[in-house]
Parts: sequence; structure tokens; C-alpha cells
Amino acid sequence: MTVTAPARSVVRAATGAPRWVRWTLLAAGLAVALWLPNGLYAAVAVDILCWALFAVAVDLLLGFTGLLSFGHAAFWGTSAYASGLIAIHAGVPFPVAVLAGALVAAALAVPIGYLAVRRTGIYFAMVTLAFAQLIYYVANNRRGLTGGENGLQSVPRELFGLDLTDAYYFYYAALPIVLLGLWAAWRIVNSPFGRVLVGIRDNPARARALGYPVHRYKLLAFVLSAFLAGLGGGLFAMAHRFVTLDTLHWTTSGKAVVMVVLGGIGTLWGGVVGAGLLVRLEDWLSFAGFESVGLVTGGLFVVVVLVFRRGLWGTAADLLRRRFRR
Amino acid sequence: MNKRGTVAAASALALLLSGCGGGGPQGSSDSKLSGDRIVLGVLNDQSGVYLALSGTNSVKAVEMAIADFKAKHGNDAITQDITVETADHQNKPDVANTKAAEMYDRMGVDAILDVPTSSAALKVADVAKEKKKLYFNISGATTDLTGKACNRYTFHYAYDTYMLANGTGRTVTEQGAKNWYIVYPNYAFGQDMEKSFSAAVTGAGGTIVGRDATPFPNDNFSTFLLKAPTLNPKPDVLGTMQAGGDLVNLVKQYNEFKLREKGVGLSVGLMFLTDIHSLTPAALAGTTYTDAWYWNFDAENRTFADRFLKETGSRPTFAHAANYSAALQYLEAVQAAGTDDADAVVKQLEGKSIDDVFLRHGKIRAEDHRVIHDAYLAQVKTPAEVTEDWDYVKILKTIPAAEAFRSPSAECKL
Amino acid sequence: MSAFLQHTFDGLVSGAFLALLALGLSVIFGMLRVVNFAHGAFYMLGAVGAYLLLTEFGVPFWWALLIVPVALGVLGMGVERALVHPLARLDPLYNFLLTFGLTLVLQDLVKMRYGTQSSPYGTPDLLVGTVDFGLFDFPAYRVFVLAFAVVACVAVWWLLGHTRIGMVVRAATERPELTRALGIDVGRWVTPVFGFGIALAGLAGVLAAPMRAVNPLMGADLVIVVFAVVVIGGLGSIFGSVAAGFGIGLVQAWGESYLDQWPIVAQTSVFVIMAIVLLWRPAGLFGREEAPA
Repeated sequence: MTVTAPARSVVRAATGAPRWVRWTLLAAGLAVALWLPNGLYAAVAVDILCWALFAVAVDLLLGFTGLLSFGHAAFWGTSAYASGLIAIHAGVPFPVAVLAGALVAAALAVPIGYLAVRRTGIYFAMVTLAFAQLIYYVANNRRGLTGGENGLQSVPRELFGLDLTDAYYFYYAALPIVLLGLWAAWRIVNSPFGRVLVGIRDNPARARALGYPVHRYKLLAFVLSAFLAGLGGGLFAMAHRFVTLDTLHWTTSGKAVVMVVLGGIGTLWGGVVGAGLLVRLEDWLSFAGFESVGLVTGGLFVVVVLVFRRGLWGTAADLLRRRFRR
Repeated sequence: MNKRGTVAAASALALLLSGCGGGGPQGSSDSKLSGDRIVLGVLNDQSGVYLALSGTNSVKAVEMAIADFKAKHGNDAITQDITVETADHQNKPDVANTKAAEMYDRMGVDAILDVPTSSAALKVADVAKEKKKLYFNISGATTDLTGKACNRYTFHYAYDTYMLANGTGRTVTEQGAKNWYIVYPNYAFGQDMEKSFSAAVTGAGGTIVGRDATPFPNDNFSTFLLKAPTLNPKPDVLGTMQAGGDLVNLVKQYNEFKLREKGVGLSVGLMFLTDIHSLTPAALAGTTYTDAWYWNFDAENRTFADRFLKETGSRPTFAHAANYSAALQYLEAVQAAGTDDADAVVKQLEGKSIDDVFLRHGKIRAEDHRVIHDAYLAQVKTPAEVTEDWDYVKILKTIPAAEAFRSPSAECKL
Repeated sequence: MSAFLQHTFDGLVSGAFLALLALGLSVIFGMLRVVNFAHGAFYMLGAVGAYLLLTEFGVPFWWALLIVPVALGVLGMGVERALVHPLARLDPLYNFLLTFGLTLVLQDLVKMRYGTQSSPYGTPDLLVGTVDFGLFDFPAYRVFVLAFAVVACVAVWWLLGHTRIGMVVRAATERPELTRALGIDVGRWVTPVFGFGIALAGLAGVLAAPMRAVNPLMGADLVIVVFAVVVIGGLGSIFGSVAAGFGIGLVQAWGESYLDQWPIVAQTSVFVIMAIVLLWRPAGLFGREEAPA
């Protein structure tokens, strides 16, 4: 359907730019990533990293499979709890805990995805939202495991005896994991598997006729996306050294979707930009003495959906493409 | 593309190593005050459910404390440069975490005050411990702050779940309501409250004839309200541990089902003046609950409340008064210690007995940093008795400081 | 026995709210293929609207019951023209996203004006007290809510079955391609139908004001339950939405009373039922499988 129509041209545009442009962009992106905690408060920079991974995971599903998950907090939060519990009880280095948490999230995505991919479009969004709410209630009730509304406190952050208490150092410890996750997303999108997903998105009937098991492809995409969201959620748990129910709430899912749309659906890197922008904006609002965060983000979101559907990255990529077509 | 990951990892490692010399506590200058000034940080909910309870008006209360401190000490004050920083944590613990660290690290905040929501309060206590800076919790209710999560730099002012449950459960039972039916929301706060409350009731010779966990959040309590009068023996009081919107739902429906007329009174675990305002005294008339402080209790409180009204346009809740008191006592401790070094200030505060507008028979316990003080059993007035805006309750009994709070927990090791 | 009847009655009352909300959601979806995320926010506006009329203008409950739905219906029509319509030709997901953003805005606007503390709203004088049903008695207001909701649902049912606009809506809901192919101008009914759906949400809100906490977030979690309800009933199926609404209300009430040692059951039952329905009949109990788009 048409949700990704503008996005499709954007994907082509990004891959259509000359090689040197792409390498320059990549180098610039890496430079910003390395510089970030020097320009921003480090803890905020770490938040941006985690949310960026989350947003990219949502876009992998929305932009490249055509499925809007409004319940991805289920995976972000489940992984956060799992990573936290593993770090507390097993005392493993934090990347191991995060990886394990992401695997738990991926495992949870199998039954949820199995049920959800039976529906498409708007139904898919509603169904994922409902399942995430189910997980939320269960976590609130399983106080022995999750700490209930007090949260899971005092998650250790350990890496071979290095002192990562300072968010500044933790940023650089987390950055490689996030870059690996982003790279994995990029690989998935540009693999034959990714191309089949786009084919399914654009014309499911044809994909089915060509003999592709559509449901199974969607399910795999869903699980992969949950895994990436889980990586982000696990890191978020490590970053804050605690986990609370907020990580499972539907507003968290909504926030990730807002980031994707701000950055541009189907652009992959748009999610990173959207995450940076939104986290920064919320941080600024909470100190600026302006209480209505929802009014600003919600209003901004409405405007973007109405008149700026390509998003920031999409628009930039489009301008680039026009510049280099001549 | 693998190169990218390698490069990033290598550069991250390089930066990590190069930076290892830094970190740790900042080297102190000659001055007795860090940054030659004192900065207080108020971190609370300025947009959500706790806005009315504490919120921006707590910042005003802290400013009043600063003014009073300066007026009292004049030129002898350790510094004239005392400011307040504030941030909205939106009731999100992760936001509270980042903001607290940012306040201590970047804004030179010496002590953070308030922080509603237990999960956020626990997290800020953790940050305070890590940064070795002070934190005065006011609106977080969990007893974990003086239990397994207690630490040297965190003080727990005002109320906690034990104080609320014990005060109401024990006092109301002693006053004659023997049979209780308890409903509580099925999450950490509610479960804690139920445990303390039941223990207090049975400890005072009462009986729990029924107890039910309710879904949370919940907008329909009729199942439990239908059940209440059918229990055998019939309960004298319905004890509800619900809070916020759930409490409002429950009370509205309690009235709908006419339970008071059927002889089942209402007692509330956690209620604030702002809740009574929302529900109207008519809906709550006769309801008992425990309050940490009440603005119209005596002349001293009344004077403070009048001043507060002039500053903010509303009457102070206990949280406002407690923020005022915490800020004032912190400044006095800095004055006495002659430095804002956290460890020196802690030494000043520990074991100190204090009386001020908020703290009556107050004492800062050295064992667990619980700040104990008198608490009050309050009863909501009938509409006919309410003669002034916001004067919604009468105090039935003062619960002495020594009885109001639990004894220091063995779990707490400072 | 009388306890069982009481719980059943109670389940029907909470089911009535779900049914009214699901009905509005379904009517809008049927006509516009839009799932209105802001449905919970409009429910909240209904309750806040009743409160506002009472405190600012002294308008009692009975008039609010008429004025608020009409006002919200008009507001809904404005929203449709200004915001929803420009996105009509794009994937419905865009409108889902738009209404999500709108939800955040509406909640915060109310929050700015009235705070997050619940606003007081009492039971209308006429309905204070209980009604004696012989075996059990029940608050009069709840009896009224149930009766009113049933009447409203039947009225909508009749409207859809016996009027020209109803026929168009039903045809467009259940056989959209065919209706358009037959040359029926669906477009001119889109705006009024959207407004009508919003008015139903507002009506549910006004009915909720005397018995539930009135605050900016009162519809936030409810809308997710309503989503599950329409998935169970079959989105776009008018009968399915109403039936599922009452059904879920009953299940929750029974679960709360008879499985009271596990409060989690009552709370999550709607989602578990949704999962089972998805396994068994992906299109919902009363829904019709659409041709893959």
C-alpha cells in the first residue's frame, strides 16, 4: 500500500548517491557518534544511543516490511528486565547480559509475532499494542521478579573490572554494540531477505504467488526487529542501572514510533536522527520549565504526519538525490 | 563493513584508556563551599499526577526556606549565594536518573529534594550514593529507602508506607472499629501497604474479615463493594490502599453503593489534601486517614500556610511543608559544619533533634536516616463543618513521633 | 444466586462503556478505514466537558448528556475535515499515527487547564440511591447507564438498518469496493459519520463522569482494551463490537468475583481472549475476512 511510497524513492535515493558521498556521510556519522558525549551531557548521549537502536528496529518492521508495531515496548522492556536480572544474578560482563536479554526478547517475539502476523495493516498495530499491554500487566504483577512499580534497582554495570560508573565512559563501551546493531539492520535491509520483505510489503499477493512463505518471512522480520529493540532495551537498563515498568508501557512504544516518523519511515538512519532529536528535545523541555511535553511532541508529530511525511532524513536524502542527479 | 565496527571499537577503547586518569571526585578548592555557593535541586513531577501535591509549589517552599535562612543569619550566613535548580522528572524514573546525575554533575547541586514515585526516589538515592551528594526524599513512600536501599547520603523526610498504614490501621482499630475489609491494588505499593495495615489492625486487637487484591489501574470496584456488606461478620470499616485516580474511582463507587449507610465506614491508606479537594468533602465525609502534617493544625502551621498562600495562591500540602523544612535544616547543617562537604553535613544531621514548622518532636535517626516526627490521624469534615477553602479535615489524634514510624530496620546498613 | 446476578449486572454496566466505545470506533473504521487512536481521548473530553459545563455554566448532567456529544460531534467533524481527510488517500496507518499524536495533544491541553488531579463530579440527584430488584439491589445510576447504553446501541442499530444513510454506511462498511462500484457517493457521508463516532465516545464519557475519576488520562489505557474488544468482535462489524463489548465486561466482572485470588486474570483476560480469537478466527468473531489488499 501507499504507506511507504515516498519512502521507497528515498531508499533508492540513498543507494543511488555516488560512492564518495556515501562514504563521506558514513565518516561524518561516525565522527558525530564519537564526539557526541563531549557536546552533550553524557547520560543524555547514552540515551540517544539506546533509543536510536530501538527506532531503527521499529523502522526495520515499519519501513521495510510494512508492519507498524505499536507494541515494541514489550521487547525493549522484556530485554531490559532480562538483562538486568542476568547482570544481577550471574554477574557477567554487561555486553553478555545485554545480548542475553535481546535473545529473551526475540524468543518472546516468536509467539506474539506468530499471532500478530496473521493480521496486517492497522490490525497488526492494534494487536501488537494489546499484547504489549498484557506483558505490562504481567510484569506489574510479578513483583518478585520485576520489583513491581519500585523497579529492578541496582543493576551492576561490569566490564572486565573497568570502572564504567561515569556515563562518559559507558558511552564508549556501549557505542560498539549499538554500531554493530545498526550495521546488522543495514545488512538485513540490503540482503536478499530484505528485498523479499520489501517485495512482500509492496505486493503480498505477488510474493505469495512467487512461492514465498509470506507469514514466515514476516515473522522472521518481526523476531529480528524484536532482537534489535531488545539490544537497545538491555543497554538502556545498563545505562540507567535499573529497570522500571515504564519500559513496558505503551507510551514507550509510541515514543519509538514518533522517532521513526520524525526521521522518516523506511530510511533506517532516520530513526537515529529522530531519536537524537526527541531525546534532546525532552531533555531540554524538562529543564525549560515547560510542562507540556506531550503537547510539543504530539503537536510536532501531527505536523510531520500531515505535511512532512518524508521526515528529516527522507527530505535530506531527497535533496541529495536531486543535487546529484544532474 | 566489518571495518567500521573494528574502528569504532578501537577508538572507543583508545578514548576509554585515555580518559581513565580523570573521573573520581573533583579536587576541592580552598573554599569551604563547592563552587563558592550552595545550590539546592528540586526534582519532582511538574506535569503529572503529583503536580498538585508537590510540583512547582515545592520550589516556592524551598525559596521561602532560603529567604528565612538568610534573614535569620544575616551577614553571618555562610554564603549569600544560595540558589534553587529545578527539573521535571515527568514521573519517569529514567528521566529522574539522568536529571539527578545532571544536577549533581553539571549544575553544582549540593542536595536534591523531593522526588515523588518510589521507583524514581530509589533511583535518585542510588545516584546520591554514587556521587556522594545529599538527597532528602520527601514524596517517595517506600520504606526501602530506610531499609535495604538506605545509604549514607539519603534522608527520608515526611511519610512512608509504614507510617500511613500503621497510623490509620492501629488508631482506628483502637477507637473501636474492630472488623476490617481491606482492598488493595495489586502492585508493590499496595502490597506493602496491605501488609503493614493488616499487621497494625491485628496488633491493635482488630480482625481482618476479608482482603482482596484489585487489578491496577482499575476503574470499576463494584465487585468488591458488592461483597463488602455480605461478609461475615460484617466489616465496620472498608480499608482501601488505593491511591490517585483509583482512589477517586473507589470513593465515587463507595458512595454509589451506599456503603456508609449500610454501616461500613471508609478508611484510606494514602490520601492527600488535594485528593479531598478533587473528590469534595461531601464524598469523603467521615473518612479517616493519616497525615504527615496539616496546615490548619495550630497557629504556627497557620502562619506558614498564610505566607504560602500569598506566595503561591494555594494552601500547602504536607509535601510543601516538608520541602521547606528539609531545605532549611540542610542549610542550618551547612552553616553549623562550616562547609557543604557532604560527609561533614551528614555528621551534623545524624542524631539531631529538631523542631520546626513541619517537624514536631523531630529527630533525624542516625541508624537509618529516617526523619521521625509526630503524625496525625485526620478525619474528613462533613460539608456543613467546612467553613473555609481547603480546611477539609479535623485532627482526631496526634500520633507521637516514636510510635508513628517503624523502628530501624536490620536491613539497613549505612 | 443473588450475588451472581449482581456481578452479572455489574459486568453488563462496564460492558456498556466498552460497547459504546467499540461501536463508535467500528462505525468510523467502517466508513473511513481509519482506526481512531484518539477515541479514548474523546471519551475523556466527554467527561471533562460535562465537568466544565457544570462548573463554568452550571449546566446539569441531563443537559450535558445532550450538549456534550453534539459539541464533540461537531469538533470531530472539524478534525475530520482538517486533519483526517487530507490523509484519506494514503495508507490508513498514517491516520492511526495522526490520531496518536492528537491523543497526546488533547491529553496535555486538558492537563494544562485542569491539572492531572481528578475533577469532582457527582451523581445526578434524580439517580442517587439504589434500585431494588427483589433478589438484589443496585445503584440507580448504574441501572440508568445500562439502560441508556442499550437504548443507544439499539437506536444506532435501527438507524443503520432503516435509514438511507444507515444503508450507505452499512454497505460501505461491509462491502466497500462494491458500494463504490455501484456509484453510491460514500464521500459525502464520511464527515458526519466520523463526527457521529466521536459523539458516541463523548456520550460514553459523560456517562462515566459521575461514576469514574475524571482526569486527562482516564481514556488512555481504556482505548487499548477497546482495541482488543473490536479485534475480538471483528473490526467494522457493528454487531460484533457491541456483543464483544458486553461480553468482555461480563468476563471481567466474573473473573474479578470468582477468581479473586488472581486479580491479574480479570485484567488480562481481554488480551488472552484476543489471542485465542486470532488463532481461531483471525477476522474476529463476527468479522468478515477481507481480500488481501
